[in-house]
Amino acid sequence: MVVRWIATVVAFLIVAFIGIVGFNFEGQAAGNSWALAAALALVVAFGVYAGIEYAQTGGFASISSQFDMRTLALMPVAIAINIILGAAVANALKIPIYLDSIGTILVGALAGPIPGALTGFVANLIWQYIIPPPFQGAVAAPFAIVAAVIGLMAGLFARAGWLRPRPDRPIGELAVGGLVALAVVAGLAWYAYARFYGTTFEFFNPDNTNVVFTILGWLIALLFIGFIVGMLALLFVRRDLTVAYVTIGGVLTGAVAALVSAPISANLFSGVTGAGTDFLVAAFRQAGSDIQTATFQQGLLSDPVDKLVTFFVVYLVLSAMARRTKARFPQGDRLLEGGDSPADGEGEWRGAPA
Amino acid sequence: MAGGSRLSEASATNRGVPDFLGRPGPSAYHRLNPLTKATLATVTAIAAVVIGGLSGPTILVVVAVIGPAIAAGVLGRLARMSLLLALPIALSALLVNVFFFPGGETVLLRIGPIVATAEGLAFALEILARIMAISGAITLFYLTTRPADLVVDLERRGISPRVAFVANASVQTVPAMVERAAQITAAQRARGMDTEGSVWRRVRGIVPIVGPVILGSIAEVEERTMALEARGFTRPGRRTLLWAPSDSGGQSLARWALIAALAALIAARVAGVVG
Amino acid sequence: MTIALSGVGYRYAGATKAALLDVDLELRDGEVIGLAGASEAGKTTLCLVVSGLAPRTVGGQVRGTITLDGEDVDTWPMHRLSQRIGIGFQNPSTQLSQVTDTVFEEVAFGPMNLGLTRDDVVARTWAALETLRIDELAERDPRRLSGGQQQLVAMAGLLAMRPEHLVLDEPTAQLDPAGTHLVADAIRRLAADGASILIAEHKADLLAAICSRVIVLDGGRVARLGATDEILGDPTIGELGVAEPSSVRLSRAVQAAGVQSDRLARALADG
Repeated sequence: MVVRWIATVVAFLIVAFIGIVGFNFEGQAAGNSWALAAALALVVAFGVYAGIEYAQTGGFASISSQFDMRTLALMPVAIAINIILGAAVANALKIPIYLDSIGTILVGALAGPIPGALTGFVANLIWQYIIPPPFQGAVAAPFAIVAAVIGLMAGLFARAGWLRPRPDRPIGELAVGGLVALAVVAGLAWYAYARFYGTTFEFFNPDNTNVVFTILGWLIALLFIGFIVGMLALLFVRRDLTVAYVTIGGVLTGAVAALVSAPISANLFSGVTGAGTDFLVAAFRQAGSDIQTATFQQGLLSDPVDKLVTFFVVYLVLSAMARRTKARFPQGDRLLEGGDSPADGEGEWRGAPA
Repeated sequence: MAGGSRLSEASATNRGVPDFLGRPGPSAYHRLNPLTKATLATVTAIAAVVIGGLSGPTILVVVAVIGPAIAAGVLGRLARMSLLLALPIALSALLVNVFFFPGGETVLLRIGPIVATAEGLAFALEILARIMAISGAITLFYLTTRPADLVVDLERRGISPRVAFVANASVQTVPAMVERAAQITAAQRARGMDTEGSVWRRVRGIVPIVGPVILGSIAEVEERTMALEARGFTRPGRRTLLWAPSDSGGQSLARWALIAALAALIAARVAGVVG
Repeated sequence: MTIALSGVGYRYAGATKAALLDVDLELRDGEVIGLAGASEAGKTTLCLVVSGLAPRTVGGQVRGTITLDGEDVDTWPMHRLSQRIGIGFQNPSTQLSQVTDTVFEEVAFGPMNLGLTRDDVVARTWAALETLRIDELAERDPRRLSGGQQQLVAMAGLLAMRPEHLVLDEPTAQLDPAGTHLVADAIRRLAADGASILIAEHKADLLAAICSRVIVLDGGRVARLGATDEILGDPTIGELGVAEPSSVRLSRAVQAAGVQSDRLARALADG
């Protein structure tokens, strides 16, 4: 067991090191690709873990236990949701979000990080290779690894209990939650601004005559304010502390997704994927960024918003599901409000055979 | 005679494997192994990206997409479908790059503050060629291969039946879910819901449909799980396959050759020889 | 093969109240037994427990003993039990595997999972299709069939597993009259051939036609258990949520109208 995990971590570090430091195409590009390198390292590390478990035990028990029949039956539904909504948004609504991860995050929440990651990965591959037009995605497959990371993160957040409803909390708790969420989001926004936006242009600069900048600047400010207001309203109206957790989870997942997907978009498609996000990329390039930075700039706007919305949708879906439906999934108990089930095995009551 | 065995009697006639299973395709290209066709599609797509420029992807389109399409007799459908697939991206690419290409100097058109440049146009054409290569390759694969065939072939080669199940079931669930959404839309409309009108109204109109579709599908998962378990799906080990697509040594060689060629191409790109 | 339940109780996960309690039951070879009762009386739960899905797939806890020919099946995994006892459900479309394009492959799905030889799989599939007389549908797409046809495909899929006992949970509940007719006929033929079936049904006429014994559940317990005529002829079953078969209602109405006729009474009794 220990051997397995040590080998996994070592493999991860080696590949990450090679990816980040070794491949020195152009300094800036390599530096910006660290998230992608980390994601690839994760995939390799997973392969190492599985390989060693197979060598040790002749099977994949610790992995496959997360894949009971219920999870397997859920995955096609989740994949279909991803594809249908994702295709609808990409082809019909030209808005700069994707909405193609609802299924991935749902599986991550109900079944765990590995099933979530696999759902995302397989969904993107199927979307491009096996689904017929009009739903077929033309650029989905290379982003499979982004989807895998999203599923992984969602699964980990759910495992930590972030998606467990916390209703009827006192105002004090809600206020603290709201402040923490705000702090995290503001902190991320500040860091992103300093690292990715600040070097290119300044907002609200009165000397700035380019229309594009001004519009962008105001758009972003509006987005930010709207988001804060919305989040706080939700928090205090529903009195559910989990709103804060969902917000943080969504924004964090979005940020990571942006970091991993930007190099893919930049290197493979020059920032043009046919989604509504292309205009954003173009706008940033017009403002003077190179293609690598522009895709980051676009991603760090679209992805957190997209994942935030997605996390909320998933939370809504979960709250609409019956308690006993959720409980039967591998990770379902982390999604239920407090309360214990009656004790197992009291007297002559027996559960299912192992 | 024990009643229980009444459910278990064997067939009187021996009818053998039905011939409608694994019916071979109409052309030689159709009859190629699915993995071969998939390899060609993937290699073409990746090569189009690696080579870059305008001439490279164009040659790829002619050789690896149009050629086989003619051999398979699907050129007309291919043209229609891959254009449909590429249209949104093409539009985006053209608009975005023609008008917003940084560093463009040769001005072609000026609309207020927005400027169209020749460099932008050239770049847009390059992207277009790349996109045509990718969408063409994938559409060719889709038109000549049934998805179930690819999954069966992969399962024969050792992929877990569970992965095969998820892949196949996903392909069927997409149209099933769309049909369900259509039914719910019709029912809602019959109840007087407004589905036309402004974008905002339409977005609001989507919510009462998406909700029941998602929740309904998830609710069914429980019943499907029971039905699948009742048919022994969770039995560990391989399952019997009724048929599998044929393969040949020649095709296996061709697949490896394609992959090797791609690797060489990538190496050439890294070394700066190409693109 | 005899299925014996002794003191069996079942509790769904997260529930405090038991859904089934103190059920003693013997399902013998060649018998067709009806299961009746109001909704939520425990019919579906009993079907799930007998087939083994509860607690294996559905979770929850069970007590008491369940034996097949005397052997305790408590530790048997679901795929082993599914080859001895088959279970069919109400909804015809959710029983489809969603991975097949033809009825033949759909029915073959179960045997394929068992890892049998290809010839075995094919033979079993044709046998199941012929038994239910749907072999002409072999090439059709299962998703495009009517509800009744889909239900027959689902049943054929079960028969292909060669179970010794069949549990059917309200197979006609979600079907239109044509589908109900189709499926009821098929079940009648299976019963007449000597199959072992446990069938939960609201339609008392079907129960009256094929079952030799009827169990009535009330609140998770066995309220009545006995020969079909006895149970369904008892006027108090209405309180337990069981509709009287039309022959019983008719004969009661005839008597109330004051018509005395031995021939009529005998004709009604015969079916």
